[in-house]
Amino acid sequence: MQTFLQLLIGGVLQGGIYALGAFGLSIIFGVLRVLNVAHGDFLMLGGMLTYWLYTSFGLPPYVALLVVFPVFFLGGLLVERVLIRPIAGMPHHEFLVASILITLGISLAIEDVTAFSLTQPVKGIDYLLPPLRFGGLVVSSLRLILLGIIVGLTVAIHVFLQRTFTGKALRALMEDREGALLVGIDTRTAATVAFGLGTALTATAGVFFVTLIPVDPHIGIPLTLKYLAIIVLGGVGHLPGALAGSLVLGLSESIVSFYVGAEWSLTVAFVILIAILLLRPRGLLG
Amino acid sequence: MGRALSLAGLAALAGFAALPWLTTSTYLVAFFLSVFIAAVLAQSYDWVGGHMGYLNLGHASFFGIGAYASGILLKGGQPLGLALAIGVALAMAFALAISYPFFRLRAAYFALATFGLVAFLELLASNLSRLTGGSEGLTIPTGYRLYHAYYAALGLLALLVAGTAALARSRFGLALVAIREDEEVAGAFGVNAYAVKCLALVASAGVAGLAGGLYCWYLTYIIPSTVFGLDVAIGPVVMAMLGGSGTVAGPLLGALVVDVLQEVLRLKTQYLALTIYGAILVLVGLFLPGGLAAPHRWRRLATLAGRLRA
Repeated sequence: MQTFLQLLIGGVLQGGIYALGAFGLSIIFGVLRVLNVAHGDFLMLGGMLTYWLYTSFGLPPYVALLVVFPVFFLGGLLVERVLIRPIAGMPHHEFLVASILITLGISLAIEDVTAFSLTQPVKGIDYLLPPLRFGGLVVSSLRLILLGIIVGLTVAIHVFLQRTFTGKALRALMEDREGALLVGIDTRTAATVAFGLGTALTATAGVFFVTLIPVDPHIGIPLTLKYLAIIVLGGVGHLPGALAGSLVLGLSESIVSFYVGAEWSLTVAFVILIAILLLRPRGLLG
Repeated sequence: MGRALSLAGLAALAGFAALPWLTTSTYLVAFFLSVFIAAVLAQSYDWVGGHMGYLNLGHASFFGIGAYASGILLKGGQPLGLALAIGVALAMAFALAISYPFFRLRAAYFALATFGLVAFLELLASNLSRLTGGSEGLTIPTGYRLYHAYYAALGLLALLVAGTAALARSRFGLALVAIREDEEVAGAFGVNAYAVKCLALVASAGVAGLAGGLYCWYLTYIIPSTVFGLDVAIGPVVMAMLGGSGTVAGPLLGALVVDVLQEVLRLKTQYLALTIYGAILVLVGLFLPGGLAAPHRWRRLATLAGRLRA
């Protein structure tokens, strides 16, 4: 029973980390209709930056957040402005194709340059705080802090999307593109903000990632695949769905790695994904 | 295909058929063999991805299933013909099985799900190591078969190109294009969209499965990433797009350009070859998504060049 509880806690935390990146991808896809293949690579870069801030300046990961978020927000703005906006006027099918080619190109370039410029490619932070004990249950206090920050960020995103003008514009675009255009929402600005926000969120997930699991330049595409699975699972452009999908993936990975073997965890995620597609093609909550 | 293009195709076929007699370089023969396999994949991908307009990022899954099924049978001492036939049958059966859930999805959702499919199969191939050899790889009895494989791949490609040209003019080809342009309208005009989509996917899977079996027989050794790797999954899509999706010549041109480019990058640049390849993908996406075979696309480049000069 206690093992199972431990697995549940580990799974929820992993799911929370997935959720941040999944929100990012969901917002990007929902607003821009871009299938961002480079999403996982921005997470990897976020982790690398955190590692560098930690080893060079001694910044603890939760402080590094304050640097990583704005840096990648600006980076995302720039990528959208330079590489995505020029294709925005293309017909539907061509746009899909072009967006995949472009983001795949970005992904390959990021992976290759990162691998090339690092002499020792695997980076992990051993940042340990004394664990908390509840009866026989051991919970890492670092993980608890991280979980707290993740919950806080999730709430912040929710408030941003529900209360602010820009947030409402993003939601409008995700729900009904033509309707949003009709009421005069500036789609260009919204697209740029959405890409910046999405990139910043996945880089933030990288901050948490590097404190728990070592990060190397090649994790990008496999992570993108997981994120894609999550947002299909949860329904694209649907944030509560992305959260549910992340928790399903985090929990199933945690439970399956323990009882069956770590090498099967991703396989199970895809089996669940295909089952959901069969039963509920619009996603878990869609 | 126009008459001039058909003639050019026949001339190219004759040239490639004579190639092993014209050169003693096995390197060149092996290189063109890999171009043929890539062209077969790009062309068969394009039935679904280009003509029908369903962006299938999982074409490599059929290639890999064909390769592994044939490979496992060849390892068990079965004759080549039987091994290839079963590889093709399994790839087609798999396509049939996934067509029901996957064709409930449209556009980007379909692309997403098929992208996941290849990763799923790669994991399966690594994990089912008793059957597939896992990450250690699957080795089949070897023999010198470069020239046999070369002609087999060339023959397969020639048949496929002729078939695609015929397809483009057939009712079935028209149905594919109608689905790409507007699936509801196609349905209203009496196209059984689900049946057409299913048939196109199964047929393209059969071709990819055959190419996979052949490739495995030629290489005599495969690991999961040989057939399910990201480059294999994305390759046909990039080739078709670069050359011109939805045309007969486009995917062939794309396969040639991409393979030559990758080979040159591999030989000439020590570092960052992948970065250059990535940059080229970005440029193609920005300026040539209709492909090299779509001349009106060049205008975008011309305008850009004009703007830069001004």
